[in-house]
Parts: sequence; structure tokens; C-alpha cells
Amino acid sequence: MSMEDTVKLISAEGFEFVIDRKAAMVSNTIRNMLTSPGGFSEAQHGEVRFPEISTPILEKICQYFYWSLQFASGKESEFHIDPEMTLELMMAANYLHT
Amino acid sequence: METVEMEESGMGVLVSLCIEAATKDIYSVQKWRRQRRTLERLPCQLGNVLFRRLLRRGILYPSLLEIFQYCVEDVDLKGETSVDAEWMAYLGAFRYLCCLNLADCRAINNASLWPITGMTTLKELDLSRCLKVTDAGIGHLLSNSNLEVLGVSETKLTSVGVMCFKSLKHLRVLDLGGLPVTDAALHSLLALTQLEKLDLWGSKITNEGACELKMFPKLTFLNLAWTFVTELPFLPSVTYLNMSNCSIYFIFNEENMGYTSRLEKLVISQAIFNKNPNEEEEAFRYLPKSNLSYLDVSKTSISNFQFLVDMKHLEHLNLKFTKLTDYLLDPIICVGENLRDLNIGSTKVTSQGISNLVGHVPKLTTLCLSHTGIDDSVLPYIGLISSLKVIDLSATFITGFANCSENYQEKSLSLTALQNLNNLEILNLEETPLRDDALHPLASLKGLKSLFLKGNFLSNASLEITSNLPNLKCLGFREALLAYSELCLFKPPKMLNVLDLRGSWILSKDEVLQLCNMFPHIEVKHELRPANISSDRYNIPGSSSSSPFRKTTKTSSSTHLHLSQLSINPNEKFADERIKYSIEELLDLQNASSSSGLPINLNTDLLKMD
Repeated sequence: MSMEDTVKLISAEGFEFVIDRKAAMVSNTIRNMLTSPGGFSEAQHGEVRFPEISTPILEKICQYFYWSLQFASGKESEFHIDPEMTLELMMAANYLHT
Repeated sequence: METVEMEESGMGVLVSLCIEAATKDIYSVQKWRRQRRTLERLPCQLGNVLFRRLLRRGILYPSLLEIFQYCVEDVDLKGETSVDAEWMAYLGAFRYLCCLNLADCRAINNASLWPITGMTTLKELDLSRCLKVTDAGIGHLLSNSNLEVLGVSETKLTSVGVMCFKSLKHLRVLDLGGLPVTDAALHSLLALTQLEKLDLWGSKITNEGACELKMFPKLTFLNLAWTFVTELPFLPSVTYLNMSNCSIYFIFNEENMGYTSRLEKLVISQAIFNKNPNEEEEAFRYLPKSNLSYLDVSKTSISNFQFLVDMKHLEHLNLKFTKLTDYLLDPIICVGENLRDLNIGSTKVTSQGISNLVGHVPKLTTLCLSHTGIDDSVLPYIGLISSLKVIDLSATFITGFANCSENYQEKSLSLTALQNLNNLEILNLEETPLRDDALHPLASLKGLKSLFLKGNFLSNASLEITSNLPNLKCLGFREALLAYSELCLFKPPKMLNVLDLRGSWILSKDEVLQLCNMFPHIEVKHELRPANISSDRYNIPGSSSSSPFRKTTKTSSSTHLHLSQLSINPNEKFADERIKYSIEELLDLQNASSSSGLPINLNTDLLKMD
């Protein structure tokens, strides 16, 4: 897998998630960060920092990205969310426009 | 995704999934309700949706309101009868509360308004039909100095209370409908210079008060229905005026000569024009007609429609229940160019008159001809108005056969004329003498979304015709002779979600239940349908419909339901009683009947049991 095909998402605690660029593009916010012209560091290095999003939430979001791709390709399954994390996840998802 | 609701359509799928998971049941809520810091950071846009969803699910209760203290701006509790002082105590602590709708909250009284005193964030408050709110409660509202929208219609306020509103200087919208507002009270409200919308229907305002209305510089919406106002001065800023049920002498006097009026919508339904010998002609003499796009003069005694001629921008015209005849249609033809919506139901217009209309109404989308004398000869002409989307031909003489000659063979199907109407979406043919064999042309109306039929000439054959309408969502098939065995064979159109079978008296309660189960995705309406079925359906997790809580039913269909329940329940109870007691006990009861007034037919019931 070459560097161009992946992006690195970094949580508030500094954990790094390397995921497919295609998956990250599910989020409109990340898509804009990675594709907007003007030489943003995100676009250049293919990594995005989220100082507001904690590691477990970012992990869940990455899981969602892949679930969403599968769902779009017709593979229907349930995306389970623990009630405990709904609020945090909701806010992160709202920020990420996903 | 099916879980995404209309109101949240702007939200991402993951946000919707989170909201769904968070509001699944009370146990889910318990899992996150203690996350105070997160709740404090939650954007109001998300808080509002969470709040609404919990309310609709019926799992919101006063002490739970606390969790929304920092993240809700918009609270709509309309019609929630459980909302009382305890709810209000929590709502009063909402830091960013901007809009609060308490309309129809019957438990709200003066004291329960106290917690929202001095909320400077509050901009909109609706207390309409809170019957326990009186002048004494108004004092609590006056410190909400930033209020812009206030609704107190049909409360127990008097003129004294209304006068107090003069201190709410930012008011833009004030709904005083159904309150005994006097001219003096209106005078004191002149201090509200920002006022844009004023509702005074049913008040005690007279011509004297009406004269002062021109002192509101920004007034655009004015409702004076059911008042004593007979003469209205020129109000240059008003775009919407309602003077229904008034005794009108004139609307706007000669003062407006030289000024331009912005009046766009005028509603004078059921108005009386009897104080002037020239009646309506004089009433409309100074009425600025050039900008008018919406006119409702239904149920008036108007018999001369010449005043319409100057209303070149008219788009919506309601002449229902007027003295309109074929000979008086010329003014309508004059202004037909922009007409989109025309209602001439319950008039003496016949097919002949409609034929003259054709070609003069190029933009007409809605045509209502219900309760008129039109017959099948009108259909070829209607078929020429290709812009039509909605046609109401209910309670007319349409038989479905064009040629009413004595020779039966010569008859042709008149509804075929409608096949040219490619835009047709809604067709109402209720209460017409249509029979099964006349309905075949309907099968080719592929764009039809709603079809309404009613009459005991209809049977299963007609129902089959509708099976092939690909876009049909709502089918009314009332009072038809439909046997259950026939309905079982019915193949509903793919898109159908409402099937109205009210008045089909052949069906039994069990059969109606069976039908509901057979078509789970269709709302089957029938008098014998038990109410709980519908609420079960609405409780499906993730369904977008409201909870039974919210279903304080306003449609006529639901009232039908209630009536039928009422008529059934007493019998059921009586049957229960007979099973509940042993025969000995019943005999004892019978002996005591002279004092307790038990049913006289107890004896015969006992015999039946034996």
C-alpha cells in the first residue's frame, strides 16, 4: 500500500490511525482538508490532527468509515453504538460532517 | 438510510445513528445522562434533536430535563398535557432557551410561568389555549424583555393583561386571537413600533381602534376576523389582511389615492356587505388590487364579480359558496392569466361555464368543482387544461359515461378525457354516481398520487384498476361494497401507504385487523380498526413517525375511530360482567336491583347463559 492511498488520523492523545484515503473521504470535513487547494499541511502530508477527539472515539469513527463503504456497496449490517459513547461520537460526527 | 428523519436530513448518517442509539429507550439515556461536561459542550443543534426525539418517544420526564440545561435552545411541547409547574421549574434553568412552545399545554397555569421570569435569552413564547393563564400570570412574562414573538390566543387574558404587553418593546409578532381586546388596550400597544404581525380575531376592536392600526409602521400581517370593524383605513405596509366574518362597509378608504399598497393576500370569507346599498362594489372601491395574489371571498353574498377585473396578479381565488353562475364568469376569465388555484365549488356553475374558462387559465394547477351541477360533458374541457395537478370533482353528477342517449351501446367512457393530463397528481371523485365499469380510464393516469372514491356503487372491480397505478400513495375507497375475500386478493400499488376503507360496513372487526396485518406498510383506515394498532406501528424503533403521546389526533378519521370505540366498549364491558360473577352472585345482585338500578334485561341474559 503506497503512501498516497492512505491517510493518518491523529487523536487528542496522539494515537495514529492509518486508514485508506477512500475510507477517510466518507467524512466531508476530512475530504475538504485533504483536497482543498492552497497547500494545507493536511493535504501535503496526508495526516490530520484532531485535538478534540479522543482515541476510542476516533477508533469508532474509523470503523464507521469502513462500515459506510461496505454499506454503500450493498452489504447491509448493523453499526452498533454503545449508549455510553453516543454523545461524544455524535459531536465528533457532527464536526466531521458524517 | 431509513432511520434518517426529515427534520434531520441535513445531518450525517453517523450523527443520526448516534441519536437513534442515544434515544432508543430509557436505559440508553441512563448510560449517558451523567456525562455532564460533554452535555455542556453539546452543540444546541444536536441537543434540540435529542430533546425532540426523547419527547416523541414519551421518555422525557421533568428531572431528566436537567441534562439539557446547556444544550437546548428550542423547546416545543405543544399539546403535551403532562407539562406542568414541575416541568417549568426545570425549563426555567435552561441557559440558552430561545423558543418555548407551550400551546395547548392544559396544565400550565399562572404560577407555573414564574420560573421563566427574567429569561433574557427567550425570544419566542407560545401560550395559546393555555386555559388557566390569566392576567395575573402576565406579570411573570414582562421581565422577558427580549421577547419578539408572543402567542396568548384563547387564554383567559383580558384587556387589562393585554395592555401590559406595551413594555415588551421588541415584539414583532403578537397573537391576541380570541381575547376580549378593547380599543383602549390596542391604543396602549401602539408603543410596540416593531410589530409586524398582529392577530386580533374575535376581539372587541371597533372602527375606532382600527383607525389606529396605521400607527404601527411595520405591520404586515393583520387578522381582524370576527370583530366589529366595518371600515378599515389605508394601511400601506400590510401584505396580509383577514376580515372574515366581519360586516364590511369598506376596506381601505380614499386616503390611499397616490400611495402604493403592498396588499397581497385578502381573506374575507363569510363577510357581510349589507350596510351599504351598493354592497360589495363600494367595499372594494378603494381596495388596491394591483398586487393582490390571494383572494378568499368564499361564503359571501357577492353577486357581482366585476371587481376582480383589475386583479391581474391573482394566483389563488376562492369563490366557494358564492352566487357565482355561468354568466358571471367573465371577470375570472379576465384575470385567468396567472391563476394557479381556483375554487368554485358549491356554486351554480355548470359544465357550460367551465367550457368558457378553457384557454384562459394557462397556469391553473388546482381546480375545485365539488358540489356543483357539472356533469360528464365538462371532462373533455378539463382535459384541455394541461397544467392541472389537482382536480376535485366530488359530489357532482359525473357518471363516467359521456353519451347519455337512450341507446346504451353508444355510451363512451368520459373519464378518458383526463388521460391527457400528464401532471395530474390528485383526483377526487367522491360521492359521484360513478360505477365500476366507468372507472377503467383511471388505469392510464400513471402520475396519480392520490385518488379518492366514495360510494356504494363501487366494488372490487374498481379496486383492481388502482393496482396498476405506479405512483399512487393514498387511496380513498370509502363506503364501497367490499368483501374481505375480495380484499385479500387486492395487490396494492407499490408506493401505497394509506388505504382508506371507512364506511365499508361489510367488513368485520377481525377482518379489518387481518387486513392491517396483511398490509403492514399501509395505514388501513376503518371505523373498526382498534386504535392501539396504529400506535404499535408508530413505536417501531427507528420509525420516523410520532409516538402515541403526540397523537392528540385532529383528523376526522381519528374522531371516527373514537366514536366507534365508544359504541363498542359498553357491550364488551357488559359481556365481561356476566363472566365475572357466578350465577348465584348474579341472582343476588338481581334481588338488590331495585335499589342499585341494574339493567332490566339481566334476567334474559341469565337465561341465555343457562
